[in-house]
Amino acid sequence: MTSLVDSRPKRRSQPRPLAGFGSLLRFMMRRDRVRAPAWIASVVGLVAASAASIVGLYETPSQLQEYADIAQADAAFKAFAGPGYGLDDPTLGAVMMNEVLVYSFVGVALMCIFLTVRHTRAEEETDRAELVRAAGVGRLSTLAAACVWVAIINVVVAIGLTLSLLAFGLTATGTLAYSAATCAVGMVFIGVAAVAAQVASSARAATASAGTTLAACFLLRAVGDLGTSWLTWLSPLGWAQSIRAFADERWWVLVLLGLAAAGSVAGAFVLSMRRDLGAGFFKQRPGPAVGSPRLASPLALAARLQRTSLISWTIGLAIIGAFFGIVTDEAEKMLESEAIAEFFAQAGAGTPTELFLATVVLMTALTASGYTVSTVLRLRTEELAVRAEPVLATPVSRRRWLLSYLTVSAVGTIVVMVVTGLAVGLGSAAQLGTTADILPVLGATLAMVPALLVLAAVTVALVGWSPRWAQLAWAGVAISAVVGLLAETLKLPDWLRNVSPFEHVPPLPAADFEWLPLVLLVLVAIGLTFVGLGAMNRRDIG
Amino acid sequence: MPTAISMRNVVKTFGPTRALDGLDLEVATGEVHGYLGPNGSGKSVTIRTLLGLLRHDSGEARLLGGDPWRDAVALHRRLAYVPGDVSLWPNLSGGEIIDYFGRLRGDLDRPKRDELIERFELDPRKKAGTYSKGNRQKVALVLALASNAELLLLDEPTAGLDPLMETVFQDCISAVAAEGRTVMLSSHILAEVEKLCDRVTIIRNGRAVQSGSLDDMRTTTRTAITVSTDRPVDGLEVLEGVHSVRTEGAALRFEVDSHALGRVLNHLTAFGIRSLVSQPPTLEELFLREYGDDLAASEAAGTS
Repeated sequence: MTSLVDSRPKRRSQPRPLAGFGSLLRFMMRRDRVRAPAWIASVVGLVAASAASIVGLYETPSQLQEYADIAQADAAFKAFAGPGYGLDDPTLGAVMMNEVLVYSFVGVALMCIFLTVRHTRAEEETDRAELVRAAGVGRLSTLAAACVWVAIINVVVAIGLTLSLLAFGLTATGTLAYSAATCAVGMVFIGVAAVAAQVASSARAATASAGTTLAACFLLRAVGDLGTSWLTWLSPLGWAQSIRAFADERWWVLVLLGLAAAGSVAGAFVLSMRRDLGAGFFKQRPGPAVGSPRLASPLALAARLQRTSLISWTIGLAIIGAFFGIVTDEAEKMLESEAIAEFFAQAGAGTPTELFLATVVLMTALTASGYTVSTVLRLRTEELAVRAEPVLATPVSRRRWLLSYLTVSAVGTIVVMVVTGLAVGLGSAAQLGTTADILPVLGATLAMVPALLVLAAVTVALVGWSPRWAQLAWAGVAISAVVGLLAETLKLPDWLRNVSPFEHVPPLPAADFEWLPLVLLVLVAIGLTFVGLGAMNRRDIG
Repeated sequence: MPTAISMRNVVKTFGPTRALDGLDLEVATGEVHGYLGPNGSGKSVTIRTLLGLLRHDSGEARLLGGDPWRDAVALHRRLAYVPGDVSLWPNLSGGEIIDYFGRLRGDLDRPKRDELIERFELDPRKKAGTYSKGNRQKVALVLALASNAELLLLDEPTAGLDPLMETVFQDCISAVAAEGRTVMLSSHILAEVEKLCDRVTIIRNGRAVQSGSLDDMRTTTRTAITVSTDRPVDGLEVLEGVHSVRTEGAALRFEVDSHALGRVLNHLTAFGIRSLVSQPPTLEELFLREYGDDLAASEAAGTS
């Protein structure tokens, strides 16, 4: 570090700040040879799958009109989907945009944030960046190569999106406007992440602050679209919607986004010229000199390390839950639309409100599975980072170490689901003026916990049996999501539906409560946990 | 003599690689045992097997009278470990991490901990993410040395330390040894091993190639002789046990196997010795001899 500080006065005279750019770019491509295709396939695949389901659901003009009536009447729809350009005279393209546009923005923005931070700040924390920079590489090369590489991925995603919408027979102009807007949002968030990578005190902090910026942009345009329209113009996501794809396109908005992207990337370059490798502008505050007496077990440490994650998941899901709760009163109107009725019918049989709430509970549970699984996967992160080894060299058994993370996952899952259930219930109570739904909804979210525990236990079993393939635990989450949301649309066979643990939970409050499936799910979870523990006790660490 | 560590014919494979290939290792209770070997020779694998983190394929391993795999948890109460590559939780401060491990071990000795932090000049308030390699190493050393464990397993513990801290470390280990506790020290710093260790084992490709006290090892190896005589010496090359004879100005330099020393001196006396310097092999020479592929190969050819 000191040598870098010492070389500061010579900074301006340093020749070729972009030396080694090409090699670094190729190196990043090599490192991402799995990750980049995976991101591209997931983003394009999700949009294509939604497009397929929309094309299937809304076949006639009257179906499109039904959709437009609900979407335009409802505040929550606007908050999540945008102001609904083109819904006055609804075309398939306009409905499609209302459904996928904002989510495409969020997906692409997240991809750009994760990948940009991965190749810039996260790399600096591994000591590898020092080696790289010591090897005749210019001061700006890493940042420049990272921005270019993520931009390339972003463009490939845009091409994929264009091709898939064209394949569904949508008009070329609208499709181009859509993918151009999505691509431009990606570019803006490459810039945001690049700035965050310079400013924040660590890679995690950089990802978190770029993600918070994205959330803020989402909320600004959500509130803006609900009425205070000037707020929409404070958010790049709002600009990108305003391109009005499939509804009287306004191409000049792209200039605004281009300027924002160029400006933020340039800002990141200026900042990176002014700072030391590995240091941010916000310094880390010192911690306590003495450890708290409570920090005395692997469980306490796991809880401490996962604290921020649990709080973020809880707040995020509570906000989503409350939003859904508030639109409960629209349920009956929605069910008038055949298309939506078909979607809800997956939940079972009951009153429209019950069907709607059951669907909401399932969707929040599917989202919460991200917390459940990622927390258990921290076991593998700890092992790979060689932090498990010194802990297991103390009088801590492997079983105790493994169960500590499983416990944090299970308890955190219950917390997330209780808070989400209350948020949905309170939201709907506030709108319907009756508290009758609060307890049933809370019960419904709690009934999802055994299914989530099965996913946690699958992760434990993978970590124990085949640690190299531990990340396959995400396949369980993906299958559950596809089955839960698209089983009817894709006409999935029963055996595949039964793979998802959520299929075995009675769709409360639209169905009667049953103990047996929940008990069986818990038993499956316990069994898989024992499998994982047994394998863990027999294998090598590291 | 009671043994703290005993390994017999231990084999550990990773796929096609034989990381430990019939390793024999004996560490007596109360001794400081040096464990030397080139990179990738199996030093860390040995220590991680002793910690029960790796399960060996065959052979017998005993640690403090127990089975390192089966009795891992009970044995870990009695030992402390410093890994070669210290990785810490970036968001916790050094002090928090030291105390966490102290509480896991159940023998947090606050005054000793504070004294060690001061001696190693560690800032316990800094977040571990901002520590340099040397400082991370200090955290691991403080938490091991602050314990009252009867056995210390140290895997290249001073790799990132500056010479001043290296001295502090040596003082601490001497104090541990004086209390009759056992230390297994894997290291590349030969001066450190020469100063601290009673006995040494040299490992190569997963096998112990040398083991014993430094004195013993010296007698089984060659001494370097520089001699000048009144009359030119002849017939030296043909004597058994004499190697690499060369003339440097008026002096003659050669190496001789320790067991042949007496015979060679008798031979030289006949030519009228004017001066004679004999240098016992340093640990570095022992080490290079066991490490160097070429030397080992020529040695094998010479003895057969």
